[in-house]
Amino acid sequence: MGLLKKRLFCTGLAATVLTATTWALPQEEKPSDDASIFVEVLHTSTGDTLKNVHVTVKDGRIDTITAGTKAGENSVTGAVLTAGMIDLSPHITYANNAVEQTNELESRLSVAGALDLFSPTWKRLARTGVTTVLVTPPDRNVVGGMCAIMKTQGSTDLAKRQLNGQSFLRGAMGDAPSSGNRPAWGSPDSIYNRRPTTRMGVEWEWRKAFYDAAAAGEFPELEFPGADVFRAVLAGNVNLYVQAFAMLDIRTAVFLKEEMRDQGFGEMNLWIDGGSESWKDAQLLKRSGSGVVLAPFPASGRSNERSFMAWRVAKDLAEAGIPFTLSAHGGTRPGTTIGDQAGRAMHGGLDFQRALNAVTIEPARALGMEDRIGTSAVGKAADLVMWSGPPFELTSRILAVWVDGVLITPSTPQKN
Amino acid sequence: MKRFPKKATLALSLLCSALTLALPAEAGEKQAIKAGTIITMDGDPIVDGVILMDSGRIVAVGASADVEIPWDAEVTEAPDMVAVPGFVEAHSNNGMDRTNETIDMGAFFDVQDSVNPVAFYFEDSLRYGITTINIQQGNQCVVAAQGAIVKPFGATVAQQLVRPHAGLKMSVTAKRGKSRATQAAALRKAFGDLRSHLEKLVDEHKKGDDRARREALAQGRDYDGEDGKGRAMTGKGWTLEGMENIPRVEIDEKLAPLLKVVEGRMAVYMYCGSPAEVHTALNIARENGFLHRMIFVLGSGCFKAADEIAAAKVPVILSRTLVHTERDPITSEETLTFEAKVFQDKGVAFALTSNNSGLESLWYQAALCVGQGMARKDALASITTSPAKILGLENRVGVLKPGADANVVLYTGDPLSVTSHVNLVFIDGQPVYDRSKDVRLQHLMDGEQPKGTAPSDEEEGEMHAGEGPSDDDKKGEGSDSKGDK
Repeated sequence: MGLLKKRLFCTGLAATVLTATTWALPQEEKPSDDASIFVEVLHTSTGDTLKNVHVTVKDGRIDTITAGTKAGENSVTGAVLTAGMIDLSPHITYANNAVEQTNELESRLSVAGALDLFSPTWKRLARTGVTTVLVTPPDRNVVGGMCAIMKTQGSTDLAKRQLNGQSFLRGAMGDAPSSGNRPAWGSPDSIYNRRPTTRMGVEWEWRKAFYDAAAAGEFPELEFPGADVFRAVLAGNVNLYVQAFAMLDIRTAVFLKEEMRDQGFGEMNLWIDGGSESWKDAQLLKRSGSGVVLAPFPASGRSNERSFMAWRVAKDLAEAGIPFTLSAHGGTRPGTTIGDQAGRAMHGGLDFQRALNAVTIEPARALGMEDRIGTSAVGKAADLVMWSGPPFELTSRILAVWVDGVLITPSTPQKN
Repeated sequence: MKRFPKKATLALSLLCSALTLALPAEAGEKQAIKAGTIITMDGDPIVDGVILMDSGRIVAVGASADVEIPWDAEVTEAPDMVAVPGFVEAHSNNGMDRTNETIDMGAFFDVQDSVNPVAFYFEDSLRYGITTINIQQGNQCVVAAQGAIVKPFGATVAQQLVRPHAGLKMSVTAKRGKSRATQAAALRKAFGDLRSHLEKLVDEHKKGDDRARREALAQGRDYDGEDGKGRAMTGKGWTLEGMENIPRVEIDEKLAPLLKVVEGRMAVYMYCGSPAEVHTALNIARENGFLHRMIFVLGSGCFKAADEIAAAKVPVILSRTLVHTERDPITSEETLTFEAKVFQDKGVAFALTSNNSGLESLWYQAALCVGQGMARKDALASITTSPAKILGLENRVGVLKPGADANVVLYTGDPLSVTSHVNLVFIDGQPVYDRSKDVRLQHLMDGEQPKGTAPSDEEEGEMHAGEGPSDDDKKGEGSDSKGDK
């Protein structure tokens, strides 16, 4: 393939047209998913750093990794290679009405059905090195529905692009599910004439759902549509993914988990999305065995829902041994990408290896897919990111991205 | 002890911290910094070097073997650190209480009257290594105030001043309530008004009418100085016969700064938000003779007019959006353009602008430029020497060389790395920032409240209760949410 022969360094133009060169092709012409890559440094995400590495990719998977060697004849070359990054909170946009929001508990629905695979968002994300995402429903009601684990590039057939749509149930604490709701005066004139109208009401919806689902065996009248999903959460078969930024909301989520355990209903796998204030009480998260998908680091410290995100938060979580990942909330502009979030975590004191893990192997583990993605190892999906220098530094940039072995053209040119 | 309300205590302590930052003990006149690396922006970096400062100026920069440190100098040992010249913000509206006067012709305003030295912006600037700031009125204007170049340190504007009356802000982009065409007309009208005023003065003088003189005397204007005499008008755009007979003090004070512009004696910072307006700005500048004194303050996308800007040799201050995105509405194709490179390739002098006053400051923008493929020295120049030249301060700031202002920033490592921090800042040879004493940075980094401002014990207890989800604990959440409101 001609494109591969070209050294990606050489482009000298000021502007690159980001056309979908590969998928604009007719469907029957499958883009090549073989590649030959040579880099000075390979960070494997398993703790190893290899030098002068030749990586070959066959049928979308990493075929060979040879360290201490020379570039192959047609190798794409660059400075550093890492595994493709995984964002568990990409905030992929879709219409506001993509998911039913008139009902507070929509565990039967999946966001997958609302996705637009033709949106340019996917390509933008892929160019920032994000190769896998966990797409969540909007947080306009308490429980929005099932999340979808998606590759950022590949087939426009949902069944082929989606890796799993049944492993994460999404909901929210905080003010998102209740803000804008109000009681009806006289006759209702809007879907927002409803409860809950405060955090208290949101929490009540959560507890009611779990109690009803758990007790429905004994009291069938408590059964409600979608209760089986809540029972699967209690059984630990479906992860619970709860948006919570401020410490009060993180506490509510953690206490919900612990209350269900104490009631003997089951131990749920809880992941907090946001966790801006988790630095305030990392031990609480540690005790409960929950994980955190950290929100982007705000320059001013002011994070979502009036929470305060100290920059040391990632370092704190790492030191407390709490599983955590970093997220860009879909940021694709320079300085806002997931790689930049890793850089900011480093600015707050996190070391490089843990920063790398927090965007590769840790989210892969959270998804339960560490056997397929999240590391650069033979046999793994060829989701790879090539950098011009040390990853996560603002002074480095992404030269190339492969998703399942298919090369995505670099985002902007480099002059050397 | 009486407990202050939480917010009041916080505000008080932040105020105190601002004051302590602003008023350090006076250090000695002679200061020496021994740094592991010195990036001088005037030749190659120096390894194991010394910067010698005396009375606010740099007197020597060189390898430690070559520079002798006087016995009476105070020495700062920084063997692991990197010294760089303080960064230069070429254009900012921060530090003013509010940024725009609404009238179209505001050349008689002075941003000095609006600069508040205790604004957190100045503290932020030090924290991220900025030591020189050109404060200009906001972009919602036609002819706006005279700007001021300041340093982010001092108890009063007078102490902060580097250069007063540093240029006039204008905008060729429609302010609220105007169209592109009426904006251009308003800009031309300002110069037209000046011209008719001068013509009227000349005319009255010919007729022997001394109204202007009587008014000037009544206002107590000074006839003793240079402006007490008439002076022939110079200017590359237009001049007026008879001005040699008009004492400058008789010119309407509201319009006088604009005459300086027409005569090329005052710089113009011209905001131009769209490439569509570049030609209008260039034409108005040519008509009125200030093209050679104009600096463009650009919005994103103006790179499209880079050829025109290059031909006119106008330097530019880039928007904070370094990469311009344009999407074709029909094909959905996206074109990304790294604007700085377009200007660089065409030989246009350019300076960067901070993205915000916090972390995304000038260093951050320069680092992103390197990420986009710009050479490091060019990226560093665009936040030091290049803005200094644009401001006409190239011999004073943005560079570490003998004779320059002693504005030095000590970084813990590579100034463009995410793992580095500004550790010490010197302005005019005086230590003005010390990271170990920066309580607001500690708050940002660690979440630790500045001392004496912690929430009351009761609230703190609730927030950190970690004993288990007992019923009591559940009740506690009520008070948590109160704190959130």
